[in-house]
Amino acid sequence: MKNSVFFNFLFLLLIKHKSKHIAIFIISILIVFLISSVLFISNSLKKELFITLDNQSDFIIQKTNNGKIFDAPISWIDDFSSINGVKNVQQRVYGLYYFMPENVYFTIVGVDLFEENTNKNIKELLSVLNISDFLQNDSMIIGNGIKKIFDKYHYFDSYDFKLLDKQSLNIKIFKDLPKEANLVANDLIIMDINLAKRILNIDEEYSTDIVLNVPNDLEKQNIKEQLILKHSNIRILQKESLKKEYENMFNYKGGIFLVLFIVVIFTFILILYQRYSMISSSDKKEIGILKAVGWSIKDIIKLKIIENFIVGFMAFIIGVIFAYIFVFILNAPILKNIFIGFSNVQNDFILNANIEFTTIVTLFLFFIIPFLSAVLIPVWKIAVIDANESMK
Amino acid sequence: MIKIKNLNKIFNENTKREFHALKNINLEIKNSSCVILKGISGSGKSTLLSIIGTLLKPTSGSIVVENENIAKLPDLHASNFRAKRLGFIFQSYNLFDTLSVKDNVSIALIPLGFNQKQIDEMVLKALELANINHKKDELVYNLSGGEKQRCAIARAIVNNPEIILCDEPTANLDYDNSLIFIESLKLLKSLNKTIVVATHDPIFDNLDFVDEIINIKNGTICE
Repeated sequence: MKNSVFFNFLFLLLIKHKSKHIAIFIISILIVFLISSVLFISNSLKKELFITLDNQSDFIIQKTNNGKIFDAPISWIDDFSSINGVKNVQQRVYGLYYFMPENVYFTIVGVDLFEENTNKNIKELLSVLNISDFLQNDSMIIGNGIKKIFDKYHYFDSYDFKLLDKQSLNIKIFKDLPKEANLVANDLIIMDINLAKRILNIDEEYSTDIVLNVPNDLEKQNIKEQLILKHSNIRILQKESLKKEYENMFNYKGGIFLVLFIVVIFTFILILYQRYSMISSSDKKEIGILKAVGWSIKDIIKLKIIENFIVGFMAFIIGVIFAYIFVFILNAPILKNIFIGFSNVQNDFILNANIEFTTIVTLFLFFIIPFLSAVLIPVWKIAVIDANESMK
Repeated sequence: MIKIKNLNKIFNENTKREFHALKNINLEIKNSSCVILKGISGSGKSTLLSIIGTLLKPTSGSIVVENENIAKLPDLHASNFRAKRLGFIFQSYNLFDTLSVKDNVSIALIPLGFNQKQIDEMVLKALELANINHKKDELVYNLSGGEKQRCAIARAIVNNPEIILCDEPTANLDYDNSLIFIESLKLLKSLNKTIVVATHDPIFDNLDFVDEIINIKNGTICE
């Protein structure tokens, strides 16, 4: 059998039988679109968050007492710096500020602009800043979500933060962050560390927690023990544990979707199988005719495999393209919020395109193999029965 | 020469629905002859035709075509035999309604490994012989019964087979078209084809080019 002749006939059949394939084609596109969308969103969020986490310090140390967390004294910086193998020990100041009119919490982060070891993410956000201008006035940089809320209440230039002693502290809005930073900075207010301490009611000699790096991975367990020896009332959070927690969270959410999609695919395959098992008399007749004019069972199955592979492959490509447009151009309305979960300030973050080739290949195999099996088993059953019977 | 020896066909063997369709058939069909298998519906003539055409396998017995027993050929050999040496003409034409006449005829040549140019030439020749060339680009769906039958004839002869099997070829044709079909058969006979027709149509009874009429009743050949 000449391949060119065979493919001419195959494409002729596909064009002539397009109405026969249309329903399966549309359902396939829909399934691939949904699965791809979820995978694209989860991969994109995962990657963004992991990049953020990678820029965090290796250890976060909080002061605890009877399970409660208290502000950590900054004198601990010297204590921890004296441990061999520990680098970049610094204080962190952050906390939540309640904004009553909207019943939401803003996250205030205090930064020491002269500290060399400031978190890389914050550094990136502040890279466009003219530090002297920023420090001259009591200023802040606000995330996109906060900007929207402030605009709504006409706080265009500054905002009066209410302090615990009922006084207020006027802070100028120096700049708002671009929408691209929304995933990490949507509800964020960045200001000088001392201002942040005042607003969050943290004593000057204290901080929210202490962070430090341990460059040698093999030393981490040993350093952990030494930290506890220095101060027993501490809680140590490790970057790796945080990563694992995030990973579990995404795997959990992704897993729920995966189970749903397995159910959907399974149902689809059953429908497909049934559709071909109850193959129409015209389909049966076609197989019978081909057999009668000298096509072998192998030729007929080859024809049906390639015919359905083309339908499945095109549906897959279109589904993936639609998913790409939906997620990375239209920014996945509705679906992305399921992944991001609860957020104080309505988050309108942008998903950055991040597609792993292996994910696409795996998805393709998981789709096309059951797809072809569901079509081919009934076709094979018909192909092996008598051509006379098929043509009746 | 087609030699059929002790041929039996039992459907649904060893079940309650067991049916003995052909009983101990012995028959010889000479090369380039035209043989009519006559009988009422359910007599077994179409079953015999299908077994000769390797579309059905007999329960026992042998069919030898030019020294080759085709009774129990595996699928690949049977399909090869059909593609190279057989042409079928069916009662209900069995064409692809959504394809053109030309495409329907070329289907029979695809398994034979010809290139597109060779296929086009052979199809054109067959269409001319079957007198349907003027409708080559027409969809089969739009053809009349007689035209469909001519298209089926073209498909049956396009591979230049030695044997042409016709199963109730005039059952769906009016008298005029049946006569045209008979003329086509006569032409095929003149081209030295071996023709086997299974029919109950009396129009085949007194044809000068028919070599033998075999009556089949209840799965057996009546003398």
